[in-house]
Amino acid sequence: MTAATAPAAPRPAPTGRSARRGAAAAALGSGRLLRLELRRNAMLWLLPVVFALFWYNGYREIMALPPMWNLRAMSLQNRLLFDLAVPVTAAAAWMGSREGRRGIADLVAGTARPRWSRQLAGWAATTAWAEAGCLACVAVVYLMTARQASWGGPPWWPAVVSAAGVPMLTAIGFAAGAWFPGRFVTPLATVVVFFGLAFGTQAASGDHSYWQISPLTAGAVDIGAAPGVATFYRYLPDLSIAQVMFTAGLTVAVLGALGISAARMRWLAVVITAVGLTAAGTAVALAGTGRFDPHGMIVIPALHNAASDQPVRYTPACSHTPIPVCVHPAFATFLPAMTAAVGPELTEFAGLPGAPARISQVTAVYRQVSGNGITVSGGGTSAAAFVVPDQVPGWLGTTGGEFAAQLDEGMGIQLASDMILGGDGQQSASGPGQAQLAVIAGSVRFPSSVESRDLAPLYGRLLPQPGIPADRAARRFAALSPAARHAWLAGHLGCGARCTGTGTTTARSRCR
Amino acid sequence: MYGHWDDYGALQMPLIFEAACAAIIAVAAGSPFGEPERATGRWLPYLRLGTAVTLTGLAAGALAAAGTGLPLAGGFPDILRNVAGLTGIGLLCATVLGAPLAWTGPLTYLVAGMYGLYTDWHPPALGTPWLWPARPPHDVGGALCAAAVFAAGLAAITLRGARERRGGDGPG
Amino acid sequence: MNVEITDLTRRFGRNLAVAGVSLETGPGVFGLLGPNGAGKTTLLRMMATVIPPSSGRLRLLGRDPGAYGPRREVRRRLGYLPQNLGYYPGFTVAEFVEYFALLKEMPAAQVPAAVATAVERVDLGGRARTKLRTLSGGMLRRVGIAQAIVNEPELLLLDEPTAGLDPEQRVHFRALLRDLGQRATVVVSTHLVEDVGAACSQVALMDQGKIVFHGTPAELTARGTERGTGDAPLERGYTAVLAAARS
Repeated sequence: MTAATAPAAPRPAPTGRSARRGAAAAALGSGRLLRLELRRNAMLWLLPVVFALFWYNGYREIMALPPMWNLRAMSLQNRLLFDLAVPVTAAAAWMGSREGRRGIADLVAGTARPRWSRQLAGWAATTAWAEAGCLACVAVVYLMTARQASWGGPPWWPAVVSAAGVPMLTAIGFAAGAWFPGRFVTPLATVVVFFGLAFGTQAASGDHSYWQISPLTAGAVDIGAAPGVATFYRYLPDLSIAQVMFTAGLTVAVLGALGISAARMRWLAVVITAVGLTAAGTAVALAGTGRFDPHGMIVIPALHNAASDQPVRYTPACSHTPIPVCVHPAFATFLPAMTAAVGPELTEFAGLPGAPARISQVTAVYRQVSGNGITVSGGGTSAAAFVVPDQVPGWLGTTGGEFAAQLDEGMGIQLASDMILGGDGQQSASGPGQAQLAVIAGSVRFPSSVESRDLAPLYGRLLPQPGIPADRAARRFAALSPAARHAWLAGHLGCGARCTGTGTTTARSRCR
Repeated sequence: MYGHWDDYGALQMPLIFEAACAAIIAVAAGSPFGEPERATGRWLPYLRLGTAVTLTGLAAGALAAAGTGLPLAGGFPDILRNVAGLTGIGLLCATVLGAPLAWTGPLTYLVAGMYGLYTDWHPPALGTPWLWPARPPHDVGGALCAAAVFAAGLAAITLRGARERRGGDGPG
Repeated sequence: MNVEITDLTRRFGRNLAVAGVSLETGPGVFGLLGPNGAGKTTLLRMMATVIPPSSGRLRLLGRDPGAYGPRREVRRRLGYLPQNLGYYPGFTVAEFVEYFALLKEMPAAQVPAAVATAVERVDLGGRARTKLRTLSGGMLRRVGIAQAIVNEPELLLLDEPTAGLDPEQRVHFRALLRDLGQRATVVVSTHLVEDVGAACSQVALMDQGKIVFHGTPAELTARGTERGTGDAPLERGYTAVLAAARS
């Protein structure tokens, strides 16, 4: 060791200007400290684990979803914090317990920087890396979706909620480590936080459940990410705002509690903790006032902006089929599948009296019923309007065949029934006759999902039972080509009350 | 968590407790004595083995006892398989990374296991027996994989013990 | 006087670790000797403002560390090396010293130069970028000394600073102590009486929480002619004073 040669200069008393310079120097010192903490932070080592878990659990499932912004963004919110919770909380607990584990507590206790400030530097560095990991995952999903989606732009609230949840995880982990610096605190704190997140998703049920405050809950918990949600109408930020308030409040409360044991700043720490807890508690209470709106999202009256209720303007994407089918551009990816599923019906009925000029998708109407069930309706009774089933190919494992079957059951039967019955079947006390049912059944080619032959939602009747003459007739009719069926219907189908013409006796009366 | 065995939420919650026990057992594999213990005689491997096996059995028994009288989803076979397999992962981590970081394996696997259970009800299911929490309780493949990992972990901790590094393990 | 202690006590439960210690010292190197459990470390921890005293009066650098503001001022001018030095294994030598320079609220612009100087003074300039986990025990001790002197402290408290140092390094360390003692008050707690003899201008001997001797090393040596045992004159003085205190 070498001896120094120059004595230390005396320290001047601070003046006003030097006090300001001192504040700037203190900020610079805090910046250097933060830089040091960033370089040597445990979260940096766990980022590969973050990415691996996200790829394995969340990313593959999200990318398997149809390329719709609402689906992917809401699913991202459902999954991201779940995948991040273990590595992020563990890294934070590890950093928080650092001083105790390394036996450095005495050494740092004798330094001038307040403990709270010192701990905040460590927490901030952990949070910065964790947030970088979170945002990287968001960026990958959003960039990939931007390349694939047919319409719209990223809803930012799901990403904001996930990003706001990261400081909450690090704060809880860091505080647990700082208060209980033992070797078991890291796994225990991680498990407790993970359990809390998992339990929250299991416990939430209904539109006014307090548990929907969980940052893993995107939209209404009983629907979740559905294609019809936040498409025709804006993504409502009400629940997201409450969730951000909750996570931010909890973060502030926990960080404030870290300072309570410091004697000088105790009052300030108590105030900060109280403010944070109040914010979090208010958010939970607000979540409990939620109600399900017809567009599938949660409205929280105190946070709701009526301007969000306006529908989103769009230019529909239409097919080039005999009867054009027009859908919201977000569903344009499915247009080929739709026209393939109901193409025969479109060919069959195009140009016939009473055929719609085009069939347009309308928004689904969601309603909460008893037992926290959800009904999805919409489209009215006209064949000119239809609702695309939420079970689009790729959503929750739905196959193309299942999607086609639902279309047949919805759009196909609606169109066929409207054309054959002209609405008369609904008004008639006796309902549609056997012959009419046979033609309807043949038109939709007995789709497998209609094996129950259930037209009850429309007419209170079933399609012809197997073996009866009407069933045999229906199967002969179904065996014809769409063009042949078109020709037959052109010759036999009366126009009923829709005609402006001749009053000719219609085939409908002959069919009866 | 008290539902029928095929209620996936009822299987996910117990898995969290099982992973917590496994993580604690793995961290406990670290010696509080350090190098002097390694300079002792031939009983040390048996001590390590006995400690790991005893703690695993106690954990499984305690979890089963906690569910006594309840129609616990998965039952005792599920508990034993999961605790043993997760502990094996933790012991292997202790050997490679050191006891203070041994929790990384079980807790990372917990997330994968939770997802595996989720896919059982949201296909396509991840059917590999190496993801044994997602397999039915009496599934032989899952039990064999968990047993193999447990045996490997026991062997590693018995023969080599938890890794020790000067100044402790991990960053920070 | 940089250190003024009057009837200072510290109790841990029923154990009275420091039982009414009084001493004053100014610039120079002050040695603190004593057997295990005498209360040296506890006294040093109180002087380092790590723990508060149970009773008594303590003034450091002309300030009362019982109040927040003065205590923070004292800590900016303090250097402390505890007996059991903890460290962050992943930090490098320079990073560890920088960390404590920042915790001591040194002006940020001065930190790089101060860190470099401190690391050089403990002869670790060539290992500034080496991770702490790869260093030997003696080198770690020198890193601890570096962090204690990085802020050119006016009050330097060193608990067993030469533990793990080889003889050559101990010689250099004593020279460093003498140099530091020209400007600051250096309190060295040690079991090695030769360190006290080589570097300290004053020495106090503690036993069972009390100071049983306060004087110069020469005066302690002179006490050894009475009933002391040991291989060196200072050792005989040490044992003689302890024997007298316990009889």
